[in-house]
Amino acid sequence: MTTLTFPLSRIEGHARVVIDARGGVVQSAKFQATEFRGFVYLVQGAPAEQMPVIVPRICGVCSTAHHVAAVKALEDAYGVTPPPLALTIRELLMLGQLLQNQATSLFIFTMPDRLGVDSIFDVDATELDGDALAGVAARALQVRQAGTHLITLAGGQFIHPVKAVVGGVTGGISAEAASAMRAELADALPVACALFDTYWDYSLALSERLGTWGDDAPACYLTAVSGTQPNYYGDFLRLMGCEGGDVCAQFPAREFRAFLTVEEAEYSYAAQTSYQGNVLRANSLARANLVDSLGTPCANEYLQRFHREFGQPAHAILLFDLARGIELVYAIERAMGILAGPLDGAETRIPYEPRDGEGYGLVEAPRGPLIHHYRIEDGLIAQAEFVIPTVHNVLAIERALRVAAERYITPDRVNLELERAVGRVVRAFDPCIACATH
Amino acid sequence: MKRFAVLQLSGCAGCEVALLNAEAWVAEYKLVYMPLVVSAEDVPDVDVLLISGGVRTDEDLYKLRRSVKNARQVVAVGTCAISGGVANLGNREEVRTFFLAQPDRPHVPRLLPKSHPVDTFVAVDLYMPGCPPTSELFMAALTNPHEFQASKVVCQECGRQKHKDMKPAHLLGFQQGEVLPDVCLINQGYLCVGSSTRGGCRAPCPRAGHPCVGCRGPSDVFIEKESAVWFTSIKRVFAAMTNVPEEEIVRGLRSPQLALFLFQFSDYADNTTAGGDHRPRPKERVL
Repeated sequence: MTTLTFPLSRIEGHARVVIDARGGVVQSAKFQATEFRGFVYLVQGAPAEQMPVIVPRICGVCSTAHHVAAVKALEDAYGVTPPPLALTIRELLMLGQLLQNQATSLFIFTMPDRLGVDSIFDVDATELDGDALAGVAARALQVRQAGTHLITLAGGQFIHPVKAVVGGVTGGISAEAASAMRAELADALPVACALFDTYWDYSLALSERLGTWGDDAPACYLTAVSGTQPNYYGDFLRLMGCEGGDVCAQFPAREFRAFLTVEEAEYSYAAQTSYQGNVLRANSLARANLVDSLGTPCANEYLQRFHREFGQPAHAILLFDLARGIELVYAIERAMGILAGPLDGAETRIPYEPRDGEGYGLVEAPRGPLIHHYRIEDGLIAQAEFVIPTVHNVLAIERALRVAAERYITPDRVNLELERAVGRVVRAFDPCIACATH
Repeated sequence: MKRFAVLQLSGCAGCEVALLNAEAWVAEYKLVYMPLVVSAEDVPDVDVLLISGGVRTDEDLYKLRRSVKNARQVVAVGTCAISGGVANLGNREEVRTFFLAQPDRPHVPRLLPKSHPVDTFVAVDLYMPGCPPTSELFMAALTNPHEFQASKVVCQECGRQKHKDMKPAHLLGFQQGEVLPDVCLINQGYLCVGSSTRGGCRAPCPRAGHPCVGCRGPSDVFIEKESAVWFTSIKRVFAAMTNVPEEEIVRGLRSPQLALFLFQFSDYADNTTAGGDHRPRPKERVL
């Protein structure tokens, strides 16, 4: 037996891929998450109302999603409906998170794979395509920062935000601050589009060199958005079956167990999800497959091109990355639209009475639907459950790794392209290990 | 060009993400190792090694001890690396039993019996607390930490006005009430610990209407003392500014949300029966 172990970089957290082959025949491909902090245990006995401050620390990359999911879970338990202005500001928070994350994943995590460098900070534009790549790191950080500034504006601080509270948000956004943010986003939009165009071109060149976009068998898709002008604040989960077509199931977070099977694995600290025995996929490609139109001009044009060139549903692995770029543009345009309206109204939160019981909070995080579930007794957390988007993708990652391994491992030898392929496959799913293991 | 590396142990990557926002280093420093953004096998020789996260697995411990050998200066970044941070909630005795009951996973790094700060195992030249530290703090740590200018405590950076005649009778829950702009959060009945939390973050949370939970830890006045001194000081602040009964304050101060603050005291983990390896950090070495 030959065991190949690939440490992973340019993803969030600690994980590795282990591929076993015998006589050039692939036996298994495992995705191992190698860290564990135990938030399910850490929050035991914590006053329920402190969850929105404690649980963002599950992940510094996804802290906004955890912050909002925690508040929504408590509101579900307490029976509170926040005022419309609060919901709008929370949508802005989720858009800031989306913008920040997709810029990071696209340009810092996966662009180096297209350019053959170890890091975006290593790109020497003079040796590559001068014009398109000049100052690529600085431009990528500029776009990314527009996202972090948006989170700061709507959330107080961009990592571990604080402004969403049970019943609403701690305050609105002044017209002056909204206008300044809008101007920053307007500056970032053409930069983001130009970077994404370059990214698309380099991805196309990569697919031509490899002879594939990373073909894999069809999968089922899971997301909390669909239709037109998706709202990442989240309402229902939706499933698309392997055959594509219409949504085959739509359900609230509290019913997720009837549709999703989540199982622990002994070789990893991350669990894995399946749907009626089928491989499931979440994240950007799930959304691109379930969303018909985005309702903002530039992003929608990219989406139509994507659907035209790759079909709907599309299944190839590297298309996750392209779909992320479309959402990057959408997040900027949609946030600009929201910031044009009044956000400094008087009613930002409503009073509520805490009570014991159970609550579920759902958001569409950049990596897919995130559910927080709390059981509250005597005002304290008796049980907490975190249903994590990356976990939904674990089996899909392993299947795609196996396809890549079978492509590059032959009885003669292991093609050196395998190591790069492992990196590309895993990064296409943009897994977050801190979240997956929590 | 100075070379630096970032070693991430068991943490949330929030510190790394904050560093990415401090884009000024891109022109001045060569980042040679940081798995989040750079593909590199090992920590090479560096001028500065930033370490984030707590020591939770035997792999964390191995990487930590191996990496510091190649570094001229070691900086403990973020509250987890300095005192365990939120992970220290798992060191409560009743919670540790859950960890110890985890099924054995033979293929992944073994969990240590508890989470440890970095300086349990290696010498640290500079501590930079915060959950996470701001981008400004990162630049200060990389360039010249001794020239960093900040107020002593978060309270002085917050900008909210204190009112002598506005004395709440009870604490509000962290999630409750309508926050008045520009008015001190203590006057409004929130358990804000900004009056003794180390300044330098520029008070983003209280400015946004949320009480300070003390992620930067004790100010210079308290950092070399025991937690009892801090408890007394906070009680005094609330006695002077509010009519809230003392037992309410005491209960609130020991709540998990303030774990980010509490675990930074050298004695506090001992009080929760799971500690033993904390020691006071000399204030000259804390940014």
